[in-house]
Formats: sequence, C-alpha cells, structure tokens
Amino acid sequence: MNEAVNALQELNWGLIAPILLLQFILMIVALFDCLKNENLNGPKWLWILVILFINTLGPIVYFIFGRGNR
Amino acid sequence: MELIETRSLSKRFGQHIAVDGVNLSIKEGVCTALLGPNGAGKTTTLNLLTGLITPSTGTIEFDQSYQGDRRQYIGYLPQYPKFYEWMTGEEFVIFAGELAGLTSKQAKQRTKEMLDLVGLNDNSKKKIAGYSGGMKQRLGIAQALVHEPKLVILDEPVSALDPLGRKEVLEMMKRLKEHTSILFSTHVLHDAEQVSDDIFIMKDGKVVIEGSLTHLQNTYQKPTFFIEAEDKLEGWVETIKGQDWIDQYSLDGKNLTLTVDNVEEARKRILKDPMFQELEIYKFEVAKTSLEDLFMKVTES
Amino acid sequence: MLFKKEWTESVRSYKILWIPVVFILLGITQPVTSYYFADIIGQFGGLPEGAVMDIPIPTGAEVITATLGQFGQIGFLVLVLAYMGIVAKEKNHGTQILVLVKPVSYTNYLTAKWAHLLCISLGSYAMGYIAAVYYTFLLIEKMVIADLIYGGIIYGIWIAFVMTVILCLSALLNSTAFVAFAGLGLTVVLSLLSSLTPDLMTLSPAMLTSHSQNLYQTGQVGSGFGLNLAFTLVLIIGILIGTIYLFHKKEIAQHTT
Ligand SMILES: Nc1ncnc2c1ncn2[C@@H]1O[C@H](COP(=O)(O)OP(=O)(O)O)[C@@H](O)[C@H]1O
Ligand SMILES: [Mg+2]
Repeated sequence: MNEAVNALQELNWGLIAPILLLQFILMIVALFDCLKNENLNGPKWLWILVILFINTLGPIVYFIFGRGNR
Repeated sequence: MELIETRSLSKRFGQHIAVDGVNLSIKEGVCTALLGPNGAGKTTTLNLLTGLITPSTGTIEFDQSYQGDRRQYIGYLPQYPKFYEWMTGEEFVIFAGELAGLTSKQAKQRTKEMLDLVGLNDNSKKKIAGYSGGMKQRLGIAQALVHEPKLVILDEPVSALDPLGRKEVLEMMKRLKEHTSILFSTHVLHDAEQVSDDIFIMKDGKVVIEGSLTHLQNTYQKPTFFIEAEDKLEGWVETIKGQDWIDQYSLDGKNLTLTVDNVEEARKRILKDPMFQELEIYKFEVAKTSLEDLFMKVTES
Repeated sequence: MLFKKEWTESVRSYKILWIPVVFILLGITQPVTSYYFADIIGQFGGLPEGAVMDIPIPTGAEVITATLGQFGQIGFLVLVLAYMGIVAKEKNHGTQILVLVKPVSYTNYLTAKWAHLLCISLGSYAMGYIAAVYYTFLLIEKMVIADLIYGGIIYGIWIAFVMTVILCLSALLNSTAFVAFAGLGLTVVLSLLSSLTPDLMTLSPAMLTSHSQNLYQTGQVGSGFGLNLAFTLVLIIGILIGTIYLFHKKEIAQHTT
C-alpha cells in the first residue's frame, strides 16, 4: 500500500514542483524585503520566523500586515 | 485686479466658525504674510484658496487673465506635507510636475532646477522615507514650485524648522519673491517682518489688522513716552491733550503712555512745560512701540 | 501619470508579484488535490467495494467551480486586504493633498485607481484561472475551451464588481479595517443570498458565479443571464460615478490644529 502511494508521488513530482517553486519565490521575496525594510510593524526577527516557517501563509501575512505602510 | 481676492469668505465646521468673513486681496508680485496665533484659521483660509475645502459662504476670485482651474496657477506647501515615501525625492517632484500638466521632459528639466534651488540634488535619488524633516520641507517647496505657479502658498513654512533651517528657508523665500508671488502663513511676527510686503493678521477666524509692512510700521511703530508720577497726572494731561504733537495717549491714574510722531519735539515740549516740572516724576522713559506689542495686544485679548 | 504611479507603487510593494502568485497557487492546488484525493481514495477504497461509488472522481466542471470558489474566498480576502487602503490610506496619511492641489480632476484620481485595481485583480485571476484549466486538462479531463473562456469572463465581471465596491468603500470610509469588513461582508451576503434564494436575486452580481457554473456543466448559461450581466455592468459604472460624486463632495483637508 505505502509503496503504491510512494510510486504515485514519484510519478507526479513534476506536478508538485511548480507549487513548491512558487511558494519558494514568495518566501524569498518576503524575506529579502523584510531584511531590507526598516519600517516594519512589529519586530523583524518575528517576521523572519513567520516567513520562514509558516508555509505560503507566512509571506502573505507579512506582505499584508508586516510591511510598514506608506 | 488682484491676483486673488476673497469676499466675506467663511468656513464653518459644525458649530465652530474657523474662518469668519475674511476679505483678502493678494497682489501679484508681492509677498503676503498671514499672521496669527495657532487656531486663528490660517490653514483653513489657505485650504479654501487652494480649493481643498469649499467655503460655507463667500467667494474667491482669481485674476481673470488666468483662465480655468486656478489650481494650475497655485503651488502649495501644506503645514505638514506628506509624501509617497516609497518614491525618491526626484521621482516625487517629477510626478508633481506631470500632475500639473508638464510634459515628462519639462518635468525632468524643472525638477533638476528645483532640486538645485532647494539644495536636495545630492539626495534626489534617495527614498523620501529616509529624509529628515528639513529635507522634506525643502522637497515640499520644490514640488510646489515645479510648475512655475503664479502664486506659491506656503503654510507655516518655517515653523517646524530649527533656527538655521528657518534662516535658510526665509532666504530662499526672499530669492523666490523675485520670480513669483508668495502667500505664507506664520505665527511668528519676526518671520513676517523679514520677508513680507503685505501682512494680514488673523485672530479667531477674522482679519483684525491688514496693510503693507511699511504702513503697519509707520502706523504702529511710534515713539512712546512712559511717564509715572507720585500724584495723579490727570490735571496735567487735561492741559496738553488735543495738542497736535500728541498722537495718542492712555492714562491709568499715575501712569501715562503717550505716543507721538516726533520724539525731539515732544521731549522739548514736555520737559519745558511748567506744569510738568511741578510734578513729582518717578519715571520718564522714551521707547518705541514695536509691531510685536501690537501683535501681542491683538492676539492675546 | 496617476495610473503609472499606482503601478510603481504596486511594484515597489511587491503586490504585483505576490497577488498573482497566490492566485496561481490557488489555481494549481485545487485540481491537484482533487486528483490526489480521488486517486488516493481509489487506492485505499479498493478494499470496501461499495465505498468507491460514494466518492466519484470529480468532473472538470466541478474542479473549475471549486477553484472559482477558492478565488471567491481566499482570493477576495487577499485582494481586499491588499487594497482596502487604496484611497483611505492616502486620505488618512494626507498624501492625497499634494496630488489634489495640483490641477488633477477627482475623476482621474479615482479612475486611475479603479483601472489599476481591475488590472491587478483580473490579471491575477486570469493567471490563476489559466493555471487551473491547464492542470485540470492534464489531470482530470479536457473541457470545452469556449465555455471555459466565457465562464472565465463572466466570473471576471463579478470580480470587477467586488473591486469597484472596494474602491467605493475605500474612498468614502476612513477606516481601512471597516473597508475590508464591509467589503467582504457585502460579498459574502450577496453570495449567500444568491445561492439560497436564487429566484429573488436574479439581478444580483453574485448570480454571475452560478451562471458560469452552469456554463461549465451544461454548456448553457442559466435563464436571466443577459439581464443579470447588463445590471451588473450598470451597477459597476453607477457605483463608480457615485463614488466620484461623493468623493468630490467630501473635504480632503485634514484637521491639523
Ligand atoms: N476639519 C476641521 N474640522 C473641525 N474643526 C476644524 C477643522 N480644521 C480646523 N478646525 C478648527 O478651526 C480653527 C482654525 O484652525 P486652523 O485654520 O488650522 O488654524 P491655524 O492654521 O491658524 O492654526 C481651529 O479652532 C480648529 O480647531
Ligand atoms: Mg495651521
């Protein structure tokens, strides 16, 4: 049974790759901006953790609430 | 025709009348100061002129020879200018120029000149978010001037600055006067005295005193005698009052304040007056009333 | 230049990047999870014979409909949160003063923002939609392209409507939180009412979503579509004009003393 599932995932790795790639882009851009930005709502280290460890949602939440607006 | 003329301009916010029947006339080629304490209604008046708010009653007329939307002839620096801080200083002034109808080439050219004028060339490529207060103030002046307006309106252009910055901006305004008409507000008389030709003093939404600086100085800066005596001065004052060397007098028991036109003559007259010599004088002082006294008197009461 | 300025702002705040990415992710995820779900259930469910019948492999129409459902929830949430301040923030900060003392018409100021909102939202949506269609074709089944295009456009008009409402709220209210709340609330209420009492809501813009669903499933829009579409377009233009009118009447100078 497990082998079957594994085989399935192996087969469709190409399908998942774009998702992972997009998530990765989101994370990198958010991280890049966060490190550069001096005008954040809240502590920088917290945002870095959020961006790194909360998949997809982390960077989005950062973009919406973390960047000091203006 | 004046550049801008208002007739019984009023603005009411709810119950509160912020501007109350103001008649301004701003002449072309002249620097006009709107002087008054905080809350006098200066900002509200300027906002009415720029069209950011609409008058409750009264009218604003712009020179007939400048047709159309009067905003195109006006450059405005708000009391607390707020910029898009993600832009660079240069981008913002270009943006402002394009909004005012310049082509992008003109806007670039004018922006360079303006940033030169206000001394921001070295920082023109920096994000506005990183600008200091003084730099933002100068950027605000640059964006107000970019489209060569006929009238530049500056709301408290120097109030937020330190003494050095104040001096710089006032110097800049003196240079600016050569090219364009200026209307600026301030709560400091000294600023108004330094650069303006015409002054309107506002208090509680009304213009209480107006005129050219020289006129105000001639009218209100007069030699004054302060006299204090042991006895009541009434008797003596009765004999001299109405004589033509006296401009004004105010008597408060044993204290007399005399405003005159000519010190020399007045001094002679007083000291040679036999009745005066009889008096037991405590204090005899000659001074000049300044506009400051006038301003204090007007704004404090 | 006002339109250009909005673009630059969205570029500098990375909105131009992350909003499309979110839509594309949503667009890919739905077909992929449906596919896996069906497949895994198929594998596991092989044992009890009856269970397979209970969980049919979704049709392409169902997957696309579900994707649009995601756009309508997470997608709207993201768009609204990203752009709730498009006017309100400039009003609260006072940045719009320096724009509006220049000889700029209030109409231009607002329509530039409106056009930008539509570009971003519809562009992101289009990318997400294309991704969803591509993955559905790949994993589930092929569908009629023309229906997908029409359906996509119909749903796009619903998005345009929601964005117009957001612009309106942002221009007329001061609190961005309230803009988001009212905007999302209105969207949810319209959607709910439209699905609960479709007979009463034939004109509601949210009905466009059910017309696009019909199109996927049967190749036909539901009855009353033409009127619904026309009414929504009229509403969009009406709200825009009303917003400009009311915004013009509102005074923009702030209280500073
Ligand atoms: N938007 C507003 N709403 C209500 N009251 C206001 C508003 N703007 C100004 N005021 C009031 O009008 C008066 C004049 O204000 P203002 O013109 O800003 O004075 P100044 O610029 O001379 O300091 C003040 O009492 C102020 O509280
Ligand atoms: Mg003020």
